Amino acid sequence: MSGIAAKLQHHRDRAQGFGTASQAQKYLNQDFESLRESCLERGELFQDEYFEALPSSLGYNELGPGSYKVRGITWRRPTELCSKPQFIVENASRTDICQGALGDCWLLAAIASLTLNKQVLSRVVPHDQSFEENYAGIFHFQFWQFGEWVDVVVDDRLPTRDGELLFVHSAEGSEFWSALLEKAYAKVNGCYEALSGGSTTEGFEDFTGGIAERHDLSSADPHLFHIIKKALERGSLLGCSIDITSASDSEAITYRKLVKGHAYSVTGADQVEYRGEAVQLVRIRNPWGQVEWNGAWSDDSSEWRYVSSDDRERLTNRSEDGEFWMSFSDFLRQYSRLEICNLTPDALTGDEYKKWAETEFEDTWRRGSTAGGCRNYPNSFWLNPQFVIKLEEVDDDPGEDQEGCTFIVGLMQKNRRRLRKMGEDMETIGFAIYELPEEYSGLKNVHLKKNFFLSSYATARSETFINLREVCSRFCLPPGEYLIVPSTFEPNKNADFYLRVFSEKNADFQEIDDSVKCHVEQIDIDEDDISNHFKSLFGKLAGQDVEISAFELQRILSRVVMKRSDIKSDGFTLSTCRTMVNLLDKDGSGKLGLVEFRILWAKIDKFLNIYKERDTDQSGCMSAPEMRMAVEAAGFSLNNPLHQLIVARYSQDLHIDFDNFVCCLIRLELLFNTFKALDVDGDGVISLGFYQYLRYTVL
Amino acid sequence: QFRPSDPPPPRRPLNFAEAHESDEEKQFRRLFNQLAGEDMEVSPGELKDILNKVIGRFSNMKTDGFSIESCRSMVAVMDSDSTGKLGFHEFKYLWGNIKRWQSVYVSHDADRSGVISARELPGAFKSVCAGFPLNEQLYKMIVRRYSDEQENMDFDNFIGCLVRLDAMCRAFKTLDKDNSGSIELDIKEWLQLTMYS
Repeated sequence: MSGIAAKLQHHRDRAQGFGTASQAQKYLNQDFESLRESCLERGELFQDEYFEALPSSLGYNELGPGSYKVRGITWRRPTELCSKPQFIVENASRTDICQGALGDCWLLAAIASLTLNKQVLSRVVPHDQSFEENYAGIFHFQFWQFGEWVDVVVDDRLPTRDGELLFVHSAEGSEFWSALLEKAYAKVNGCYEALSGGSTTEGFEDFTGGIAERHDLSSADPHLFHIIKKALERGSLLGCSIDITSASDSEAITYRKLVKGHAYSVTGADQVEYRGEAVQLVRIRNPWGQVEWNGAWSDDSSEWRYVSSDDRERLTNRSEDGEFWMSFSDFLRQYSRLEICNLTPDALTGDEYKKWAETEFEDTWRRGSTAGGCRNYPNSFWLNPQFVIKLEEVDDDPGEDQEGCTFIVGLMQKNRRRLRKMGEDMETIGFAIYELPEEYSGLKNVHLKKNFFLSSYATARSETFINLREVCSRFCLPPGEYLIVPSTFEPNKNADFYLRVFSEKNADFQEIDDSVKCHVEQIDIDEDDISNHFKSLFGKLAGQDVEISAFELQRILSRVVMKRSDIKSDGFTLSTCRTMVNLLDKDGSGKLGLVEFRILWAKIDKFLNIYKERDTDQSGCMSAPEMRMAVEAAGFSLNNPLHQLIVARYSQDLHIDFDNFVCCLIRLELLFNTFKALDVDGDGVISLGFYQYLRYTVL
Repeated sequence: QFRPSDPPPPRRPLNFAEAHESDEEKQFRRLFNQLAGEDMEVSPGELKDILNKVIGRFSNMKTDGFSIESCRSMVAVMDSDSTGKLGFHEFKYLWGNIKRWQSVYVSHDADRSGVISARELPGAFKSVCAGFPLNEQLYKMIVRRYSDEQENMDFDNFIGCLVRLDAMCRAFKTLDKDNSGSIELDIKEWLQLTMYS
């Protein structure tokens, strides 16, 4: 209950805009301004008690306490390392960021790209901090973490050996923003070692809140040039690189003057007429600011002589600034991969860029309820959370033979890097897309069932199921409504995920889920309707007071179910019996009279029939999919979070036995009734004072 | 005004927790690791085993042992990610409370009967540790719900009741963000909150 309350409050906060770029959440509730203030008042330098200058902050295995790699490490502040440390040097567009003893080059490449976009850089690295004015040994950074912007503080004690920074450092050694940024990112992920091994796109996304696509250039999308052009129009960050085959290859320079294993940026795409033929060109930048391609279309190449003077004027650039043109076909041959990070609308303030429309959802897969696994598991696949996107307008300016609606779907699993220390790693995730038949059009509260998936083929799907933090794919489909079903590969894997859709035109993207309703039929029984046989039975059971208490009820019901071999049950608990009495006790005596008991009897009889009918495999228990159908048959329509809770609360080893089944249904009915009674004005919202709340929940 | 016990501290990075453990806490972590098994989470069944093992050592308290139902309920009110299990932090918080509430139980069992009678109950709940100022009506409901036919509450019911009360109070506080004294819920929120308890 307290756990669920925290979750509900989180959703409420999100709805009010907490965690957006303008209202970043304070990580671990640490507030930069007030911490700096109090350090300045006390005349002390900040020491972060949540990420201490201790071996455990470095790592757990290779960099773990006691490992030879961490021998001789001391933590020093920049003021102890050089005489005039700088936080960030004005116009620090040169990416002099050098990797240290940690395999986090993916992160550094992302940091390097960051410096190319001033607007994005100043959000991640607030510039209002320095080693001079108001210096108190504390710095802060902002990261995007699974849909939320968090503001993270660190102290400036950095791990060093022999007076040198162990990890990221600047070439001159006097600029510290990158080293402190790395520390803050390590804090968010648990420790430095948690950063080792990753993909640049992960860093891209955590610094921008954008969605990153990867393109393998050896099997490039036939529309890739068009995609690049549009990405540039939308202010996306584009990075490309040449794979290395061995470590010694890193930063090796080819005879064409291209650097292997190095992160380049793509900064332009254009088309010229060359000897009567159209040629596609891309402009690429080496972040070193020097070492340029010397092949066709390079600065001084002869190709430029055969284009119109207008084109030449517009495109050529002869200085040695690291930037150069090459033909798109050479680009595909020379480079191995291209990464495009599409930015959210709020990352771009200028009007010069076109903007994506973006929608996002947080949700969960849970063992036994909503973790249905992929399409290979038809019995449970339909249990996964479902989303629907409605595409109405086709793209402006479509590429050749590609008219349709372009959208990008990103499915991300949450917080796995932090769990790595506990031996957990990524789950294998992916998604499938189905065209929604017309009869379901516009329905937001119908969770599609097994039969739909048995008779429908997926229109599209994520390229693969993979154990990465995110799977992301681009689609171009005709206007219509589509169902997106994200899942883990195997069923019954607990994980939290975050699903985003970026669309070229506005698109309606919604989670579809059953609405929460109760339509249980009331059983009307009069004393006259009751048979004499039942009356005499009741008389025997009720004893002297002619009423049945919860204690008596427990004994009666347990005796009944114990006799049956076709249903599994370990007897009714007292609390279930109390709930039953509460549901049916109309006169407030706390016990059941004849009519009340007869109604309960009829209810249990009905439950028994549903239970038998829905136990399709005749195991004597309800499995998760059986339970979902049974709850519906009993007259309840519930959403995913409630189905998850039912399994978490009432199942044992993912099976629900008869007494828990009854307990669950009786409670549901009682709670629906209570809500209805409290919602006096019928507006669908109840307001509860503390004592009132306790009175209804303590039971 | 109600005053629930202190909320569990915010989850700190793991390495923080480890670096700051006292010997007692280290011992506790070892216990947890043993108990929680491979998935590092405590299920209702595991909780029942450990609680019953521990109360078996106490003498001056009557109990018929924690039932699986009561353990399920305790896990439910504390579980924060609807997995049906407790993580390390949640379990540690629960453990600390159980230890404190045990001494309350013993000190308020005035007649040394080993159970808390309806008369002894308000005193026990009012005591500093518990910190729930409840009214007459609520005590009546609690007795009806958690005591036996003679209105006596034994140790497992006492703990089960306090764990729920504590969680409910914290839930209320969480949702009453502006301290207005009341909370608003729609049907989905209401069911999520109350079904999982």
